[in-house]
Amino acid sequence: MIKRVEVNYRGIFQKNLGKKIGSDIVMIASRMGQKAFSNGRYSDSPERNGIPCKYFAFVSPDLPEEELEAECGAKLEIDETNISVVLDDTMCKGVEPWGWHGIRPINEKVIKDGCLLVVSRKKPEELLKFIGKKPYNYRIAILDGDASLAGLWVNKDDLTHERILGGIAAIDPALISIEAVESYLMEKTKQKHRAEAARAAFESLRAEAKPPRVKLVTPKEGIDWPHEKPVLPKWFEMQEGAVVPAVKRGFEVGPRGQSRNAMFKRGTTKTQRPAVRFDLCTKCTLCWAECPDECFDPTKDGFYDIEYQYCVGCGKCAEICPVKECIVMVDELRFEDDSSPYEHWKKDSKDYIQWVEDKKGKDRVSYPFVTGKGITVTQGEVMPEGKIVGIKKTEEAEL
Amino acid sequence: MSTVPTIDYEKIKGVHKVPLEELYTSGHRTCQGCESATTMRGFIKVAGPRTVVTGSTGCMYVANTSYLTTPWIVPWMHTQLGAGGSSAVGMAAGLRALKRKGKIKDEKINVINFSGDLGAGDMGIGGISAALQSDYDLLIIMYDNESAANTDIQATGLTTYGAQTTFTPPGTKHPIMQRRWKKNVAGMLAVGHRTCRYVATACATYPPTDYLNKVQKALNIGGPTFIHTYDPCPKGWDYHPRFSHDLGELGIKSGLYPLYEVVDGQVIYTYDARKSGKGRIPVKDFLTKQGRFDHLKEEHFTYIQKMVDEQWDEWEIPGVAPIKGILKARI
Repeated sequence: MIKRVEVNYRGIFQKNLGKKIGSDIVMIASRMGQKAFSNGRYSDSPERNGIPCKYFAFVSPDLPEEELEAECGAKLEIDETNISVVLDDTMCKGVEPWGWHGIRPINEKVIKDGCLLVVSRKKPEELLKFIGKKPYNYRIAILDGDASLAGLWVNKDDLTHERILGGIAAIDPALISIEAVESYLMEKTKQKHRAEAARAAFESLRAEAKPPRVKLVTPKEGIDWPHEKPVLPKWFEMQEGAVVPAVKRGFEVGPRGQSRNAMFKRGTTKTQRPAVRFDLCTKCTLCWAECPDECFDPTKDGFYDIEYQYCVGCGKCAEICPVKECIVMVDELRFEDDSSPYEHWKKDSKDYIQWVEDKKGKDRVSYPFVTGKGITVTQGEVMPEGKIVGIKKTEEAEL
Repeated sequence: MSTVPTIDYEKIKGVHKVPLEELYTSGHRTCQGCESATTMRGFIKVAGPRTVVTGSTGCMYVANTSYLTTPWIVPWMHTQLGAGGSSAVGMAAGLRALKRKGKIKDEKINVINFSGDLGAGDMGIGGISAALQSDYDLLIIMYDNESAANTDIQATGLTTYGAQTTFTPPGTKHPIMQRRWKKNVAGMLAVGHRTCRYVATACATYPPTDYLNKVQKALNIGGPTFIHTYDPCPKGWDYHPRFSHDLGELGIKSGLYPLYEVVDGQVIYTYDARKSGKGRIPVKDFLTKQGRFDHLKEEHFTYIQKMVDEQWDEWEIPGVAPIKGILKARI
């Protein structure tokens, strides 16, 4: 018997975290007398900031090491998983690591009676508005917390790693037990608070816990998955010399007027998306000029529409925008579709401003220059229509 | 006697005049906030649709042209890591021959090679040197993100002193493992290739349109040309992607990245960090905003500052060539 755990994480931001979780599952399972093995998904490399990636851990109580490795080590992707850990809840909207994967549901590999363990502040019901249906029962467990984003070199030690281990122990004690997690963390780090964090996460996911954080999901719950898997051409269908056809040239002023690569939209890369108040826009063009993903569409009256399907949520536009509250980065899970904000505004500007302010809310979550050094939450304000206030640039304010 | 060189080109006067059409469009697999993608998008915007691009292996090759993730509207060809210069020469020679034989219309077709700092600055520098001695019209752009970013950040000859990379992990005893000073590629190529009419350094987004106009000039002056761009990399430099513009701006303002062009042997500072604003800002303000310098101590900041000061105050041609003058004494 083999039990599989996959860790879905945001490329680079959670690379070290994902790897740590995978390797510690192996260490703890070995201490319990099981054979275990861990690796990353080969095709995720080279990783890019924000791209959804996976790390795997395999545990077997009965197979010898060679057999386990032969079974699991030689595969590019696993076919099924007992526990799927999701380190950032915005991945519940679907994951698209490369063009040939297509946009896949986050629970794609979860087996019958398996579990999706999500780090989130949301309730399972809210997440199920985005997650695809399964033909069988499975569980969603919510580990209360924010996505822990760090960088390649500066680690963020916010105990997410320990809490995930505790959470896995609560979901399947036979895989790793909480006692083994605690003793491992104590022995390795000699720091009591780490073992305590794992224990607290374990307690929060137990059936008796109040409020309950584990939900049984039936085949009725979830959405009909709208995205299809791309069909790759056979070798004899490729052009001579395996030449890949270029994107067809096409441009006209207006929303969606630019031709784009339809095969890889990669909007699933974003954790936040820019929300625009067009009535505050001074048409400075900087958001468009600075966008590395070419997702701003120039319009006839000099504004810039956003093609959200291609936006990866880097936040450069919000950072460069010289007007207060004009472009603000908002949690991706507050949005249900990728329709054109400009068209909405043109149709009914009052309604649009109301809508965008509702989405924006009050909290402005931002990261410092070095991502791993924490999150700041500031309070935004609702600007009256047309009231344009300039902002000082960040570094000038700091210097 | 120096003369003011003239280049017949269409100047882009302000961001509102930048061409709207994208020829490097959405749907690529670059990082969030990738500044090299902005660099790519910029050069093809001004070069226009009659352009062929070759790209050396590197992060901008894998991210943009792996199967189904290609955003190019113009023809693009992959070439090996060290073959940036030779691929551009071959492409330009082929086009010239086809035009001479009447097989294609005799019109201006831009040939651009886009190579990274490892591909162009370290491994392919021989080929680029040869290309700059040729008589073909071609442009080589080196996008410098200071690492081999495709293979998860290894140090190259252009990585800033002291930076953490996979090859140079800092330890407690030896915090500085990247002990090489950043290779001065643009200066080296300008000094070494007398007949190359245009060599420049640039940054994609700061000052606005400066980079786009440099590409315009390089494509219109005639002969082989070279541009070195400074591209902040959120992945390898370890900063939040939203600050890509700011990091480039700080690097330039601190004087670590001098912006200049060398036209017919004459240096023009397109942004003089000494004279603009309040003068050069301390390099520490740039370095402390990146995770790759998180291990640096005060003494290292002082050393880097000293090296940058020397570059501006002691070099005969500040920022361009590390020659401090003529020594009269014999040693």
